[in-house]
Parts: sequence; structure tokens; C-alpha cells
Amino acid sequence: MEFRPILSALMRNKVSMVLIGLQVALTLAIVCNALFIISERLDRMHRPSGMNETDTFVFNSTGFGQGYDVRSVQQADLQLLRSLPGVVDATSVISVPMSQSGWSTSVNLQPNQATATADTALYMVDSHGLSTYGLKLVEGRNFTPAEIGFRTVNDRAAPPSVILTRALADRLFPQGGALGKQVYYDNGSTPTTIIGIVERMQTPWLDSDYIENSSLMPAYLPYGNTTPYLVRAEPGRRDEVMKEVEQRMIQANPSRVIGRMRSIEQVRAVSYAGDRAMAIILGAVIFALLAITALGIVGMASFWVAQRTRQIGTRRALGATRFDILRYFHTENFIITTLGLLLGGVLAYALSLWLMQQYQAPRLPWYYVPVGFVCLWALGQLAVLGPALRASRVPPALATRSV
Amino acid sequence: MLSMNHLQKVYRTHLIETHALRDFSIHVDEGEFVAVTGPSGSGKTTFLNICGLLEEFSGGEYQLDGVDVRGLGDNARSRLRNEKIGFIFQSFNLIPDLNLFDNVDVPLRYRRFAAAERKRRIEDALARVGLASRMKHYPSELSGGQQQRVAIARALAGSPRLLLADEPTGNLDSLMARGVMELLEEINRQGTTIVMVTHDPELAARAQRNVHVIDGQVTDFSAEPDLGQHPAVTTAMPA
Amino acid sequence: MFAYYLQLGLRSLKRNPILTALMVVGIALGIAASMTTLTVMHLMGSDPIPWKSDKLHYVQLDNWSPDQPYNDDGSPPDQVTYRDAVALMAAARADRQVAMFKLALPIQPTNPELKPFRALVRVAGADFFPMFEPPFQYGSGWDRRQDGEHARVVVLGKAINEKLFGGQDSVGKTVRMDGVDYTVTGVLDDWHLRAKYYDLTGGAFTDPDELYMPFTTGIDLKQRASGNNSCWSAPASGWEAYLDSDCVWIQMWAELDSPARLAEFKAFLDSYVNEQKKLGRFPRPLNNRLLDVNEWMADQRVVSRDVQVQTGLGFAFLLVCLVNTIGLLLAKFTRKAGEIGLRRALGASRREVFTQFLVESGVIGISGGVLGLALTALGLLAVRALYSEYQTVAALDWMMVAATIVLSIVAALLAGLYPTWRACRVQPAAQLKI
Repeated sequence: MEFRPILSALMRNKVSMVLIGLQVALTLAIVCNALFIISERLDRMHRPSGMNETDTFVFNSTGFGQGYDVRSVQQADLQLLRSLPGVVDATSVISVPMSQSGWSTSVNLQPNQATATADTALYMVDSHGLSTYGLKLVEGRNFTPAEIGFRTVNDRAAPPSVILTRALADRLFPQGGALGKQVYYDNGSTPTTIIGIVERMQTPWLDSDYIENSSLMPAYLPYGNTTPYLVRAEPGRRDEVMKEVEQRMIQANPSRVIGRMRSIEQVRAVSYAGDRAMAIILGAVIFALLAITALGIVGMASFWVAQRTRQIGTRRALGATRFDILRYFHTENFIITTLGLLLGGVLAYALSLWLMQQYQAPRLPWYYVPVGFVCLWALGQLAVLGPALRASRVPPALATRSV
Repeated sequence: MLSMNHLQKVYRTHLIETHALRDFSIHVDEGEFVAVTGPSGSGKTTFLNICGLLEEFSGGEYQLDGVDVRGLGDNARSRLRNEKIGFIFQSFNLIPDLNLFDNVDVPLRYRRFAAAERKRRIEDALARVGLASRMKHYPSELSGGQQQRVAIARALAGSPRLLLADEPTGNLDSLMARGVMELLEEINRQGTTIVMVTHDPELAARAQRNVHVIDGQVTDFSAEPDLGQHPAVTTAMPA
Repeated sequence: MFAYYLQLGLRSLKRNPILTALMVVGIALGIAASMTTLTVMHLMGSDPIPWKSDKLHYVQLDNWSPDQPYNDDGSPPDQVTYRDAVALMAAARADRQVAMFKLALPIQPTNPELKPFRALVRVAGADFFPMFEPPFQYGSGWDRRQDGEHARVVVLGKAINEKLFGGQDSVGKTVRMDGVDYTVTGVLDDWHLRAKYYDLTGGAFTDPDELYMPFTTGIDLKQRASGNNSCWSAPASGWEAYLDSDCVWIQMWAELDSPARLAEFKAFLDSYVNEQKKLGRFPRPLNNRLLDVNEWMADQRVVSRDVQVQTGLGFAFLLVCLVNTIGLLLAKFTRKAGEIGLRRALGASRREVFTQFLVESGVIGISGGVLGLALTALGLLAVRALYSEYQTVAALDWMMVAATIVLSIVAALLAGLYPTWRACRVQPAAQLKI
């Protein structure tokens, strides 16, 4: 191939070459890093919460007035909810995964330990908790109704039993055998026995560094006069049940406000809206960037073809076939793109390093850059095809035409 | 070497038909130096384009070095141009971004010669036109005459059977023109057939044979070799 | 002369419509991407109270566990305990000070057509109003005396006054919340806060406060705040024990009118904490902080990392678009070498040729800017659709409109500078010979 003469001709037009090369380089660096961020966000968004998300919804009931007895209302509500048609199960809760608000504390292996063994999110449920959240019990047993205690926010003694997630159990007892062992919550000295282990349940906070460390405790815990409920409907009947529940709750006790009724799918959508938006915005920028770069190559190549029409005619007269001309422009584009890509590869890793330092971002995996090379080579070859075809149609007789 | 019989060339636009060549016949033997003259618009350039396979013709027949070129495809014509014909253009048509070496290299690349072979031919060709020492220079660093010499070297490098020259001295002053002309004569003496299109009667007179074209037809032959040379010498002197 | 250049520029742009469109769209896209992201970042991070943001200081005390810091970077907790808030309020050493938290309370409208609803109540001292200067439509805030009397008074936000009283002057009327009646002392007018800077603990762009009540009155309700609460040791049982605990859940601000007052207050805080250390509290080294409004907003990352990354990306994209435009302009101007030579031969000075071509670049810049502005508006619309909480920060304002136009013209002129300079170096003779 005629690499050397094309390259030396290019060296006589450095500025144009540098401009296209620079554009390719910046595009590669940005696209690689942006794609990586997108893939990270998508991974993050696809983390399983561990609970049934499609059939469940939460809402708050806030009572008012002096005569309001939150405990008896809670028991009546739970009975009512479980009796409604279309409801599979219901439980009172304090939080749900992905809701970004909830309770956390430390779990220790010794009483009054100075530094915590692990951090955990707390979920307070009754014996219907596992089935309402839709958690998968992999070891041990569920709570019995007799185990469920009444608590308030200002009086939250450690419960005698707890169900942990697999991740938390493994964290506390890396050797295994967590079931039946005793742990200590809240830096306290009252032991709590692990009676069950569920496969997975995320904490309410998407950014927590212990995202799968959750503890389920057997307790009714209203927040003042506010009780959040979690309801699981029969498959496909969630929306209809949501409307029904709102009406029936008000009917059952008018001195309260039913608020913040949200399906878990909505909770997920709201909480991950930022990640979704980031992915969409970066995607749009990548698209625009590739389009601009491709159009830039088309524009430059068109200009070069126009500028070199006579030269092309001469080459044709001297024996170049149409394919030779086509190949000339493709080779030229390949050289420029490659030079740009080499610079872009360095820039891509530099940008990644900077993002790592500035935003604690993870390192760009090595294969993004080579894949980017291939994509931009393809983009360049595609972009230059039009102008190159035009060049190949320059008639050889042009060579003898006087200026 | 070259034989055209009853050649026709018609340019058609949606409004008019122009007969650039009509019933055009010419025969050039191996080793000849033929000058084609005629006023502008007479069909000289069309003849040259068809002769050099740069354009197709509408009717008649054309044999180049024993090959019937009618109906040949674009690629076959390109190959034929590349192997059998050397071009010298009025405005040199050197590629400004390539140095002399690379300029002469252009047709050899399309010939798919090996690198060593190309290098030998380029150096030989540049030596023949006296520019071997300036191989790394760019066209813009040369005078017009020197540029045309490079173009001649480029035409010669592929050892063509036929050299086609289109007003080779048209963009040169008389001193440089004489040099180029002498070079062409020298090449012809060494056995390469030359067909030169020119509107300059002095130049034409130095060829062995003159063909005059008017209105797309060959009108005049002056076949005696000696007659051609003397008037050119005499008329060139008075300046 | 300028008009002549403008005419020449427009004519030249019209001659290559596709190339021109490519350049204009390129600039416009770059401008739109950078301005959309910059607008969001600018409005998010903009000073919410520029005339006194350096006087308002967020009070942070480090009462955290001896075994581990509150934050990994060693910075103190982002809220204070009830004990410390009350002590600092009582000492009243700042020019103004306010302690506050938020409650979600059920409101029982007297209008039977309205269903009871839950509203977010800012529970704060009387100084809240003169410190953060919300505009009043009717009446005013309560005073420090009423703070002391645990007065059952409220200030309504404009929206809730609209809902409860149809937007009328409701001063003196009562609002019933959780079975208790409160008298309205004032109604706020529209209070356009982009970031709810006075309480960033629950997110800067979510959950605007709907009404306001005195701190002392709010504490009497014995209800846990609906904001964040953090404890490093579990409090004993009961409300009083909670108030007495080392749990942090209250935001505290001090207004200090001069650097000298700031230094005094700082010294006071240090001596307060040292006193408390003698009582066995504050086991960590002295680590008080008094960040002003802008420092506090930066510390709390009101402008999120995502927004920063997006803005960086927007400008990188603009850079690519500029490189693209330089290339295309260069191509275009190079083809005009003949024309330039001719003009030069006919007597145009280098400077005149330069002006002519810069005007042409400027025309591209203005066109790109106008199109870019339209695209920026679209971009902000998209941002609002993507981030429901960014309604207030994804909006064009006049400063950003002006900035967009200026940026695009500067960008186009920058892009045009090199090609123009190249074009002007054409020797008059060189191009005429061929």
C-alpha cells in the first residue's frame, strides 16, 4: 500500500490533518469515558433489590387528634389490608429498599464493642414481612407472631431475634454458620439471636457501601402517629388495589391522612432518575459527538477532493483505476484517524485518571480504547466513502483541460 | 504503433450535438515524432484524449500497439494507459505535495512494481532529464522548465511505447521551451514514439511529420522528415 | 465598510449552503451542550443570598464518638444536638442565631371540602425571618418573646395560604394541626429559592417547606424530626432522654455581621465545647466549623458530581465543535486564496482582508449562537424532564442568554482566527499567476 507517499503528502498539509486528528482524539477520549460511565450507571440501575418490585406498594398513614391510638389503629389496619381482595399480604414497615430513607445501625459480635463489626440497615416487620417484601428465606425460619414486639422511636430495645441477609451474615461470620449465633445491635449489651437468613435485601440507600447488609427485626414501630405500610397485591392487580386501599383506609378511620402512596417501581424510578438522566445525557453527547466528527470528516474530505480534482485527474491519466483513487482517500483517512486515535488513546486514559482523582471514579477498563479504535476507524472509513466515491468519478480527461 | 480509422467523437448535451472529430484517420509508426497542429477548437485535445484513452469515442476504430481499444472497460483502459503511454501535460500536473521522487513514483505505484525496481527506474528517469540531484525537492522549488522535465521523467519512468505531449512548452518561456524540445527529440532518437499536440507551428516544424486538424478532420500531411526540421531552425533564430 | 464586509460574508455563506449549515449547526450544538450544562451548574451553585451570604454561618460542633469520626474525612457532623442548640440559643452570642428542624404534620382544614393533608413544617426560632429574609405577602414572622412563650403561632407559605384561605390575608386566623390550633402571624410571598440552602441535609432541591412554627412550640409536640437523625450511642428510653442525648438532628445558623464578630463567636464556641469537655462530652479533639453560605453549599455538594461531569463534558464537546469549525473554515478560506490575492492586488490591506473574513466568521458565530440558544432552551426542557427536582435550576435567565450569545461569537471568532490569519498571508502575486 502507498502509505509513505500519502503520509508525506499529508505532512505538507499538517494543519488540516492535525485538526481532524485532534477531533478524532477528543472524540475517542470522551466517548470511551462516557460509555464507561453509562455502563457503570446501567450496572448500578440493574442491581437487584432482593424484594418483589412489581406487585408491591407503600404508603403512610398519619393519624391526628388526641384520641388517636396508633397501636390499635395499626393492628386494625393490618387486619383490614390483609382481608382486601387482591391483596396477597401486608405488613407495617419503617422503610423499603431504594427509598433513600431509613434506619441504620452497627452490629457487633461482642457486647459494647468499641468499633463496629458491620453496618446494617434496619427493617421492622411482623411475621408477614418476608412474604410481603417477597424475600427468599435460605436458612432458618420466619418470625412467629409471638416474637413481634411493640416499640417506639424513643424506646427501641434490641429484639431477641433477627433475620439477616446472606451478605451481612457472611460479613459477620466469614467462616459460615451464622444461623443461631448471637450479635449485638446499637453498641448495646443485649444479645440478639440470628434465626434466619434471606438471600438478598438491599438497604434503602443506593450509595451505601454496605448495600446488601440488612437486618429484619420483629417489631411494630410507628413513627409518632405515622405508620408506613407495605402491601403486596396479586400479580397484575397492584394499581387497582392501590386505589381500593386508599379509600378503605380513610373509611376505616377518618382522623388520618393517607399519603405518599407509591409503587415500588415508582420508588425505584425516582431513586434512579439521576443515574438514568446521566446515562441519557451522556448517550446524547456521544451521539452528537460522533455525528459532528463524522460530518467534520465528510466536510474536510469533500474539500480535499475539490481541491485535488486536477491531481486526481492526473493520477487517473497516469494509470490509476477508480478503485486506486477510492483507496487513496480511504488510506489517507485511515492514516489521519489512526494518528488521532493514538493521541486519543492517551487522552482517554489521562481523562480516566483525572476522573479517578477528582471524583473517585473507577479505572477505565483497558478494552474500551481498542473497541473505540475499531468504532472510530469504521466511522472514518464510512464518512470518507461519499467524498472518495466522488473523487473516483473524476474523469481522467481532466488532466489535459487547461486551467 | 497507433492507428485510427474513421474515428467519430460526438459530444451531446440535451440541447446540441457537437462533432468534435468526424471521420478522423491517422497512422503513426513506431519511432515516429508526429506533431498534431490546428487552431483552437479544431479537435486537437479531443484527439489527444482519445489517443491517450482518457476519453471514449463514438464510432470508428482505434488500435493502440496492436490492441483494439474499443469497448475496453475503465480498469483495462487504466492499465493500458499506465503500461503503454507516457503523458506530458501543458501545465505539468505535478502533485505539489509530493517531492520529485514521489512524483515520478506515481505511475510506477499503479504498475505494482517492486520497491527496488521503482527506485531504479525513478533514479534513471530523473538522471535522464538531469534532475537526479534534486530528488527530495518539491515542485514549487523548481522553475517551470525543470518542472516539465520532471513530468517528462515521470512519463519515461514506466518505459512507455508512446509518449503523448499536450502543448509541452505552452507554459514555458522560449529558452526553457527549447530545452524541453531538445529533450523530447533526444528521447525520440532513443526509440520512443512521440505524438505532440501544439498550436505552435515552429515547434511542429521540428517534428518528423505534421498532422493538421481543422474542424475535427485531418486535412494535411507533410511526410518528408527533412522538410520539417529546417524551417523551425530558421524561424527560431531571428529572435 | 462593515456593511460591505457583512454583505460579502453573507453572500459567501450562501454560496456553500451545506458547508455553512454544517458550521452553524456544529457551533450551535457545542454551544447548546455547554450552555445547558453550565446553566444548570450556575443556577444550582449560585449564591442564594448574595448580600449577606458571607455573614450567615452554619454551626458545626464535633460531639462524635471517640472511636470514629462522623465523616471519613474527619469533618464534624452536619447537624447539632438539641442540648447544644438550646445552649447556644440561650447564650445568644451571635448577632442573630436560629436552630431549626422540620416536621411532617397533619393539617385539618376547617373547610370541609378539603381533605386533611400532611405538610412540611419548618420549626425554627424567630430570627429565621430576619436572617434568611423571605418576602412577606401579609403580616410578619413571630418575635423572640413569642419564642420564649412557646406561642402557638405559624407563618404560612404562599401555596398553603392559597389552599387553606384562597390566598386572602389570613393573619389572625387559625390553622389546626394534629388537633391543635395555631394563629397565623404572617403569610410569605413567592420565595424563589433555587437551593433550599438553609437546610441541605435532606437534599437541596426537594421538599420545600410549607409553613413555619416556633422552635419551642415544635419541641413541645415531642415528635421526631422528619429530617436526618444520627446517634453514635443509642439514647436511653423516652423523649427527655432523646433531647439529652448526643444524637444530632438540628440545623443551626449564626449571623455574624463582621469578621471580628465571627472571630469572637468562634472563640465562644471553642470555650463552650471546652466547658462541655469538662462534663465528659465532646470526646473528640476540638473541631468546630463555621462555614458561610457558599462554603456550606460547596461542602454539601449542592452542585452534584454528575452536574460537574456533565458541564465538563459539555465544554469538551464545544471544543470538538470548535476544532471542527476551524477545519471547515480553513478549508473554505483556503479555497478563496485566489479571491484574496485579487483583492490584495486591487489594494486591500492585509487588515482589511482580515476584517472581511473575521466578519464572515462572526456571522457564523451569531447564527450558531441564535440556533444554539434555541437548542439550549430545548436542552433545559430535557433536563427538567429528566430531573424532576431541577425545575428551578434548569431555566434560562438573562445572564445566561447573554453569555450564550457572547460565547458563541467568541467561539466562532476563535475558530475563524487561525484560518483568517492563514488566508491573509496569501501574497497578492502568488495567486494571480495561475
